[in-house]
Amino acid sequence: MFASRLAVIGAVLALSSMAHAAGPTQYPLTLENCGQQLTFAKSPGNAVTIGQAGTEILYSLGLGERLAGTSLWFSHVLPEFEAQNAKVPRLADNDPSFESVIGKRPGLVAVQFEWMVGEQGVVGTRKQFHDLNIPTYIMPTDCEGKDNLVGADGTRLQPFQIDSLYKSINQLAQIFDVQDKGDALVTDLQKRLAAAVAGAEQRQAKDISALFWFSSPDMDLDPYVAGQKGVADYMMKSLGLRNVVESSEEWPSVGWETLAKANPTVLVLARMDRRRFPADDVEKKLEFLRSDPVAKHMEAVKNGRIVIIDADGMQASLRMITGIETLAKAVDEFQ
Amino acid sequence: MSTVLQCSDLGWSVKGRAIVAGVDLQIRQGETLGLIGPNGSGKSTLLKLLSGIRAPGSGQVHLNGKPLASLSRRDVARQLAFVEQQADTSDAVTVRDAVELGRTPWLSALQPWSASHERIVMQALADVDMAHMGEHAWSTLSGGERQRVHIARALAQQPQILLLDEPTNHLDIQHQLSILNLVRALPVTTLIALHDLNQALECDRLGVMERGRLVALGTPDEVLTTERLRDTFGVRARYLTDPEDGARILRFHPT
Amino acid sequence: MIARSSRLFLLTIACLLLLGVAVIAGVALGETRIAPSVVFQVLANKLFAAGFVLDPIDEGIVWNYRLTRALVAASCGAGLAVSGVVLQALLRNPLADPYLLGISAGASTGAVSVALLGLGAGMLSLSMGAFLGAVAAFALVALLARAAGGGAISGSAQIILAGIAGSQLFNALTSFLITKSASAEQARGIMFWLLGNLSGVDWQDVLLAVPMALAGVLLVAWHTRALDAFTFGAESAASLGVPVRRVQATLIACTALVTAVMVSIVGSIGFVGLVIPHAARLLVGARHGRLVPVSALIGAVFLIAADVLSRTAIKGQVLPIGVVTALVGAPAFAVILVRGRRVR
Repeated sequence: MFASRLAVIGAVLALSSMAHAAGPTQYPLTLENCGQQLTFAKSPGNAVTIGQAGTEILYSLGLGERLAGTSLWFSHVLPEFEAQNAKVPRLADNDPSFESVIGKRPGLVAVQFEWMVGEQGVVGTRKQFHDLNIPTYIMPTDCEGKDNLVGADGTRLQPFQIDSLYKSINQLAQIFDVQDKGDALVTDLQKRLAAAVAGAEQRQAKDISALFWFSSPDMDLDPYVAGQKGVADYMMKSLGLRNVVESSEEWPSVGWETLAKANPTVLVLARMDRRRFPADDVEKKLEFLRSDPVAKHMEAVKNGRIVIIDADGMQASLRMITGIETLAKAVDEFQ
Repeated sequence: MSTVLQCSDLGWSVKGRAIVAGVDLQIRQGETLGLIGPNGSGKSTLLKLLSGIRAPGSGQVHLNGKPLASLSRRDVARQLAFVEQQADTSDAVTVRDAVELGRTPWLSALQPWSASHERIVMQALADVDMAHMGEHAWSTLSGGERQRVHIARALAQQPQILLLDEPTNHLDIQHQLSILNLVRALPVTTLIALHDLNQALECDRLGVMERGRLVALGTPDEVLTTERLRDTFGVRARYLTDPEDGARILRFHPT
Repeated sequence: MIARSSRLFLLTIACLLLLGVAVIAGVALGETRIAPSVVFQVLANKLFAAGFVLDPIDEGIVWNYRLTRALVAASCGAGLAVSGVVLQALLRNPLADPYLLGISAGASTGAVSVALLGLGAGMLSLSMGAFLGAVAAFALVALLARAAGGGAISGSAQIILAGIAGSQLFNALTSFLITKSASAEQARGIMFWLLGNLSGVDWQDVLLAVPMALAGVLLVAWHTRALDAFTFGAESAASLGVPVRRVQATLIACTALVTAVMVSIVGSIGFVGLVIPHAARLLVGARHGRLVPVSALIGAVFLIAADVLSRTAIKGQVLPIGVVTALVGAPAFAVILVRGRRVR
């Protein structure tokens, strides 16, 4: 009797919480996004994305049909979305022009980086879009606790929180009225993350250090590496690894002398299809590590402790979780 | 007397306008030849053509019998020195530095600076009465002092032929006279462009330039006639005789 | 005579020692701390096969990173300073510097073309692109100067104006390329290179830079009397027996080549060619026999110091060396201007 009543109460509670979470969006929807208020009268009919992370989130939420254009790609789209992606026009491999975006008359522009659309946005400012009644949604992963006007890729004032990724997914789901899908996606990611970070304490005890190398403006010049408090740094810390880079910029340039002396236990290299710089090619990065007279003596290079992760796996996106999983597995295998 | 420097049918023009045209001139060894003429008559250009600083548009120059164009600048500089009308520098050089430059054509890796070069420089400075100002900075010199340093530099070159372009322009009268006396007393052949017609009377020969052409050549008496003074220089002139030594001087009136 | 040549010998030794000390300092100081004893041990190992047991990373840093940078910095500083001396003498202009001939502007355009347009289809490096750009710009400037001049002796005014025109053209091209093709990231990378960067130099660069600088300095040293002869102008030099056209062409081509090579290796490092000759003049006077070697020495030491400063001024960050030379050079130039008025 008591047990069955508990069960009923529990079921009601569960149902009501689910209903609260998975209920349809109440329009007009107002939400706060990176310091601006966005209002949606209804679910947007179509959208343009600037940034592969936003693109793949929308695909994961089953919104592929509503995508009118994509841009800013680092690598091949996830294989499960390949067919869907083939139907969506690609406005640019890198940054699109303002006119190409508004030419699609989107109901929403989903932006991965504030330096794409923001106060000093290369595509345009938010005001430019909002003046045309096109709301711009910047993923909170790039603006929360971060000052994008300082440092080339911005500087983290607060360490990156994984919650901002979940918030991005939830808010996009809310805007498009597919909150049940959003919840399911977030729950799945949380589960995978929890599994990957188990064992963080043991790794921390062993003082395993790591370095993320994204790319370099030229093979000869100082590399872009992951700084403190950023997404890559979060990945390292959540696994109990120590980031050898001390700068708080998102992707600072640090000289090879400093990096070699720091001698990290593990090296993480970014793989991408983009070829803006010669060092984008992970093969070139590997070749450099093997041939440079100082870098080749680094512990990680000598012992083959090199992990290769997708570029978007080091940035706030769905692939980040995959990146954490890959890194965790590799580090544990190195033991 | 042998001809040390000569030109035949020498000409130079710019933008179609002839600055110097059809000049034939033979300069004899040891003489002092004055070059006179109104402004713009081509005196400076003629001197530059004769010294090889400017390449002629037409005609040829011969130095001691050899075509000027066939000689190296260094060989020319050892025989011929040219003093410009105006030459200035913003470098922080001393008087001595400037005069030492005159030894340039005689120095080389095998013939570095030595006591004999030193002596020649000191002598040149003394000749222009600047020996006591050897260490003075160029920027502190007056116009006349600068001119004397230029002349000293030319003297330091130890040339056989000296070309001077209006060297007495900025000098006060005392120095004008001493420079002219010096120049005349030197055993070198001298070609000197002059403005002051009375000073020109002291030369061995005179050449008159008018609109790029050499219109008269000969002794001062032959050349500086009252007709010439009227036609080329546009002045009325009268010769006066100094009762003390019988020398002739000119007195000028406008026409 | 004996006293004079032995004094010269001693002076030369002293200058070489000073240069050696500067290079050692450039090797011992850097982004990370390496103990001086380790530095000497590395040098002993590499030069005399001393056989000390050392961390290969330390060894690599000292020998492959820092020593190469110090040597290239010294070569670049000497080359640019001497180029500045030559141009200031030949063009009779105290504001002349090696970049007047359009070389820096051309190098920037070349490098940017390779980086942003992918010119050369991946076969050309940034350095090669920079060199070709520098040569192209210089050729244009030389042609312009030739076309503008008409007198028997090249007027310095024509060369200066042609240089300005050429530089402006290539600078405009560079700006156009950057705004049209570059993302913010690319622009940032290129900007770093354009402001001068000794980060990626290796022994290959040393083998190019050092002989180039030596050859340039020696060639100019051979012509010091001719340079002196230009004190009162080109016509005065001609009357002193200097083959003006030939000397101008030789020395300008020499400085253009040395500057182009240096800029293609390290980017545009400003103020060295402009300010170092003046600083040297303050020390030893205007006679080129002393001015040329002293300028080379001061230039070398200055650039080594600037490189060390660019790496150690801000922890964990490397400043572009061109920024350091400008920050030091501009006030130094102001001081020289003011002092120069009072002295002499």
